[in-house]
Amino acid sequence: MVAPPDNDVLWARSLTYSHSGSPALDDVSLGVREGEILAVTGPRGSGKTTLLRCLSGQLVPRRGEVWFNSTPVHTMSALLRERLRRDRFSWIAPEPSLVPELSAWENAALPLLMRGASHRAAKTAAMEWLERLDIGAYARKRPGALLQSQRQRIAVARALVTEPSVLFADEPTAPLHRADRAQVLRTLTTAARSHRITVVLATLDAEVALLADRTVTLLDGRRVNAPRPSEAEGRAACSLSV
Amino acid sequence: MLALRLGRRTHLLAQLRRLLVAAASAGVGFLLLCTLGWAMGHPAGSTVRLLWCLIPLAATVQFAVAVARADPILRPRAGLSAVGLGPARLTALAATSTAVSCALGSALALLFFLHLRGDLTGMPFDGEAAKLLAADQPLPLGAVLTLLAVVPVLATAATALALRSRGGADRGPVRERVPGAGQEPVGESGAGPGADLASAAPVPHPAPAPGGLPWGVALTAAGLAVETYASRGGADSALPLPGHFGGSPAGVLAGWSLTALGLALAGPGITHLCGWLLQILRPGAIRLLAGRTLMAEARRIGRPLGVLCAVLSGVLAANSLYGPGDERPFGPLTALGAALVIGCTAATLLTATLEARQVRASTTRTLRLAGAPAALVRTAAAVRATTVLAVFTPLTWAVASLAAIPLSG
Repeated sequence: MVAPPDNDVLWARSLTYSHSGSPALDDVSLGVREGEILAVTGPRGSGKTTLLRCLSGQLVPRRGEVWFNSTPVHTMSALLRERLRRDRFSWIAPEPSLVPELSAWENAALPLLMRGASHRAAKTAAMEWLERLDIGAYARKRPGALLQSQRQRIAVARALVTEPSVLFADEPTAPLHRADRAQVLRTLTTAARSHRITVVLATLDAEVALLADRTVTLLDGRRVNAPRPSEAEGRAACSLSV
Repeated sequence: MLALRLGRRTHLLAQLRRLLVAAASAGVGFLLLCTLGWAMGHPAGSTVRLLWCLIPLAATVQFAVAVARADPILRPRAGLSAVGLGPARLTALAATSTAVSCALGSALALLFFLHLRGDLTGMPFDGEAAKLLAADQPLPLGAVLTLLAVVPVLATAATALALRSRGGADRGPVRERVPGAGQEPVGESGAGPGADLASAAPVPHPAPAPGGLPWGVALTAAGLAVETYASRGGADSALPLPGHFGGSPAGVLAGWSLTALGLALAGPGITHLCGWLLQILRPGAIRLLAGRTLMAEARRIGRPLGVLCAVLSGVLAANSLYGPGDERPFGPLTALGAALVIGCTAATLLTATLEARQVRASTTRTLRLAGAPAALVRTAAAVRATTVLAVFTPLTWAVASLAAIPLSG
């Protein structure tokens, strides 16, 4: 086992993973520097989500290594990975998965409450992030009474409220329309820059990827050089004609 | 056939629940047949005996409905949906599954009854109760079939009705479509009309607080008052109570029915109140999650909790009726009936809890995704259980004590 480079907050080598025998990742290696925004792009089924789940410790790769700040994640026990995810990582899913019984601010404050923060401090921090994301007015509403875009912003606030070391965002703007998407991305990137949060952002959107410092492209579970738009379109056309 | 094929492949626990429904159905069927057998030899008082069977019958039907609601067959599945098996067909499958389980139980009851009468020979205890069950007389086929069909028919109808009224595919508390196209929240920046086409997916919406608490309390109080008043009357009723009792049994039974109805009505409200109390005063993550979940589950588990509370307090109160030299002592059929009622109501509560857990699975996944440790989820569940026990145990004891005062007086 070789230790990762010192300047990488997150480092993966030769990650291989398969879902019940179907290959999802094949020999993927990458490093993410502290405070960097790394976009992971690729078509659907290319392994973006699996890569993020392996990096965040939700999945243990069948082969390969994942290191966080020179600590091997792939050899950690489930309990330690759980603690790492709670204390150092955050996750934004494509669909806003919120606790329906809690109000907007309670959902946003939940990670802080789980860490043992006081009710008042958790509420203050959550409200601050909800205001930044323009949903302060809906803080007392339950997710069921909100629009999908509002729910996704609450999910973003919940991910940012703990100011994590690494934020994994799996197509965070997928359910949003263009205007919402721009605002959420602006908030996300601004927060990442100002708080030196490392962001690993999986996206299908080329415009979203442009906001990142660096882009890694996956195709059929392998890391490839990013295809030019014309090539990608040609591939799509070919697959349609078959 | 599809119901059987799907049922055969379900989880062991689901199959065990169906077996329990079959066993309960067998128990009630056997009680009904015993009533018939006794009535053939002793026509006097047979109606009263038949009426007593209504209590285990109601408990069994309630259990069958709870099992059907928690049936994995009902869980929306992409594979079945793709071939056109929607909520309506899934409801029909669950109702069929209930009918099959209950019919199996009724068949077992008939076999056991015939065996005890001595009509089936070659096994131990055959003909043990031949005299009691009028073995010297032929069984009226129509009556036997009618009595055996009671549980399957009622349970299937109640299942179909319960599942139909909740809208089939909806597994959540009260779910409604999120305000979406054409509805723009005031003051929302960026979210234009129709901006949320993806929001067509149903999102759990918190159900309003159950409103039955005042009615439940009033009915319980009225029931206890009626029971106390009736205990002073004469023992001239056509509805004799088991054991020894000097008052008016009809009045006591009416009072008891009111009390039980009141507790069943108040159950969801009390559960909701427990949850509310749990999450007030600046709660931490555990109290907040436990309290809100209990509030959300109040409608689902509150009713079975209230019914169990009523049954247990009834059993405790009825205990004071028995003593040495009773005119109507505690016999095996009374024991079977009591076991059926207690077992079915307890199993109904457990099944409702399981159903609530299934519904909560997505919330649990969300919590795990947000980094919640498994211990937090387990602790929140333990806090909920402790709160419910802490409230319902003294309530059961108090109602039982109040109900027992006139019976033992």
